[in-house]
Amino acid sequence: MTSTGGEVTVIPGDEAASRPAPPGAPPGTLTVSGALAWIDVFNSGVGAEAATLGDLDRQAGDGDFGANLLAALRRVRRRLAEAPPTTPGEAFLCVSHGFLNTGGTSGPLFGLWFRGIGRAGDGPYLTLAELAAGVAAGTATIQRLAGAKPGDKTMVDALVPAGEALAAAAADRLDLRAGLARAADAAHAAAVATRDLRARRGRASYVGDVAVGVPDPGALTVALFLDSGCVALHPADEPPPVGLPAPDAAGATGSR
Amino acid sequence: MAGPNALAVAAPRRQFVNDPDEVVEEALEGLEAAHPRLIRWNRDPSFVQRAKPAPPGRVAVISGGGSGHEPLHVGMVGEGMLDAAVPGAVFASPTAGQILAATQAVANGAGVVHVVKNYTGDVLNFAIAAEVASDDGIEVRQVLVDDDLATTSTTGDGPGRRGTAATVVVEKIVGAAAAAGADLDRVVALGRRVAATSRSMAVALAAGAHPGDPRPSFELPPDQVEFGVGIHGERGIGRRAFATADELADELVRPLLSDLAIGSGDRVIAITNGLGATTNLELAVIHRRVARVLSAAGVTIERALVGSYVTALDMAGCSVTLTRVDDELLALWDAPVRTIALSW
Repeated sequence: MTSTGGEVTVIPGDEAASRPAPPGAPPGTLTVSGALAWIDVFNSGVGAEAATLGDLDRQAGDGDFGANLLAALRRVRRRLAEAPPTTPGEAFLCVSHGFLNTGGTSGPLFGLWFRGIGRAGDGPYLTLAELAAGVAAGTATIQRLAGAKPGDKTMVDALVPAGEALAAAAADRLDLRAGLARAADAAHAAAVATRDLRARRGRASYVGDVAVGVPDPGALTVALFLDSGCVALHPADEPPPVGLPAPDAAGATGSR
Repeated sequence: MAGPNALAVAAPRRQFVNDPDEVVEEALEGLEAAHPRLIRWNRDPSFVQRAKPAPPGRVAVISGGGSGHEPLHVGMVGEGMLDAAVPGAVFASPTAGQILAATQAVANGAGVVHVVKNYTGDVLNFAIAAEVASDDGIEVRQVLVDDDLATTSTTGDGPGRRGTAATVVVEKIVGAAAAAGADLDRVVALGRRVAATSRSMAVALAAGAHPGDPRPSFELPPDQVEFGVGIHGERGIGRRAFATADELADELVRPLLSDLAIGSGDRVIAITNGLGATTNLELAVIHRRVARVLSAAGVTIERALVGSYVTALDMAGCSVTLTRVDDELLALWDAPVRTIALSW
């Protein structure tokens, strides 16, 4: 079923990344190099999955989702090269900038979400609690501006449970990678469940029942992003897989 | 009635295009070359601003939206109207990043008004830009234009009426108020009042075609016209038999009077607007009838525009917009303006 989150071996207290942390960065926090590695894995994941996501969007929307994601990440790469970030917050603000300059509506909404993470802290590292707060802030902004609630078959369906999982993990004093694994699990489950929903917001709402049976590509992208964090922060000797739920699970044409 | 129209519908139209993907940029370069004393084009991110910025301390006014509606919005940039316009691709919203860059470029310390036509993508991208601009301490308020009577919803659920040619009236009056030094609250209130008292209705004789794709977005039989069309080639609300200019004009005006509850003693600004491929000669014929109908109803047309201001590429057809006005709105309409499209 879900190909990643659930298979990530969670070892609370593990080193957050296999990279050197800046002096003073506590273990289990996100440094700028960790953030860049995360963005890099996400970039590769989008490259691999853009066609699939675009196909899902074609069945329920206007089909530009995959192309818009790729265009956004091209801008992200350019921005990162032009203005190399020195903190993890700055790294996610570069991602935000790339997405805000993308056409359509999903791209700019992701831009707002990444901005929430980027503004979670301006120091040399982010704790899980800070990341959880940033995700919650970004998600709240999206809900306020787009008017979408969980159950409307949009990216919000994955954002809300992912944010809640991060907050719960922070409350449980888990480290970053363990928290991300929980959030990725939650996002995957919610993204796959959008398959059975009838869209009430977003482009898919224009086609009504036609979109039932097609999972929301925005929600899947949220899961892909969180998976990417798990992969990037995973010790090198434990390579977990990354990717979207397998096509049969994504259920583009399937039924339950 | 079949002859000339049958040809217009059947023949693919030839277009002046180099590269369909570059049409918007090339047009902006051309407009800047033509009007260097009025506008300046920022190439990336793409937006157009006044060549001579407004004095400090004034509310800044920005609009924008998909291209293909020329002279809207770039043609409305200049003294007494817009401080900046943000053009998207043809019929596609500009990005939040473009809008943000324009907002930061013209913010003048007194807040920024975004005049936005009511389309989901435009509304959201302007709202996102406003959200991010607030990080810089820029206060941004949105004035939504939703005048298209054909899209009035009966359920109250859904995107609401589309924004069309009343945008010109809103931009003019908001721009004049800002130029006169009104504060942000006042400028926004005026803009919302104009939007609330404006309605438009359109009729198409033939759909338009995208640059590089000469097939029209819908086909009309030569003996029919389509009422309630939008400015993006959206289908309308109903087809009727083709008829004389007077009969078609009647069908445009009457629902506006009824929806706005305009009657004897009321005063309006009227715009008889071409949708891209209709001649000024024909528009003047339509406006003649608009004036007669309003006069017979005891309504005074205080000011009028007759021409192509809010187009849908090369759609053949026209729209009529009525805005109920009073002395205050009229004075703002009459205030000096110096843009590519409007100048007095």
